[in-house]
Amino acid sequence: MKKTMTLNLTDAEMQVLEELSAKKDLSKTALLRQALRLYQMVEVRLEKGDKLFFEDDKTKEKAEVMMLS
Amino acid sequence: MTATVTPIFLKNVASGQAINAELLDAVEQQQLIDWVMHWLPVRDKYLHALKTAQAPAAAWPQSAHWNWVSKVVQIQGLLAHRALCVVCENVTQGMMRIDVAGKRCRIASQKGLDLVYVDYLEIAPWNWEGPYFDPPRYRGVGTVLLRAAIETSLAEGFKGRIGLHSLPQSTIFYERCGLTNCGPDPASQWKLPYFEMTPENTQAFLGKGTRQ
Repeated sequence: MKKTMTLNLTDAEMQVLEELSAKKDLSKTALLRQALRLYQMVEVRLEKGDKLFFEDDKTKEKAEVMMLS
Repeated sequence: MTATVTPIFLKNVASGQAINAELLDAVEQQQLIDWVMHWLPVRDKYLHALKTAQAPAAAWPQSAHWNWVSKVVQIQGLLAHRALCVVCENVTQGMMRIDVAGKRCRIASQKGLDLVYVDYLEIAPWNWEGPYFDPPRYRGVGTVLLRAAIETSLAEGFKGRIGLHSLPQSTIFYERCGLTNCGPDPASQWKLPYFEMTPENTQAFLGKGTRQ
């Protein structure tokens, strides 16, 4: 069962949402649901003690994304 | 949470007739009980038959080491993952685990777009085909599950895009379903071939009612 909510965004936030939706070929709702899923996944992994990295595809250099709890 | 049940049909191989079955959008405790009580004894019987016959490595089921209890426990409570199953005559006939947020498309025409990634898809051992096994009981389980992955992709707004790494024994099935074989993935632990389905492939698959 799905529930409805109203979301208030700033102009800048809405602009990013629209740009990302267009880039990802998704509706705004679909994009926000994806964001929630990923946010939860990151949170669960961090709670388990994992670290989040971005890796440069060419150099394989890793940069840790600092998530403050 | 109560699973949503969708009526489907499978083919009873012995009678040649269509038989009523159900697609569930969850893998519940009963499925894990079925896996332990029904799947594992048949799987072990077949593994014993393969060993006795000194069957070549290619004949051994490549998913035989999968543990569905761990696969389901790993994703409990996670929005990004789901598990689905097919039940017929009160016994689980196949299970699938999917990831709806963690993977992106690789094919150039849709690179970077979201897809439904099939983590695991397995049918019950009595539905396996091969010279060392009894004749399969039901056909169509894998196709129903793959179709469910595509339907999930459509429902999520991903336009039917799905992706997966195939065990070598399953590549023919996925090719027949219309997925594009992108070749061995060097990043995959076992260099498994990576398959992807485009919206165009999806329409062809949904239109032709692919057989398993």
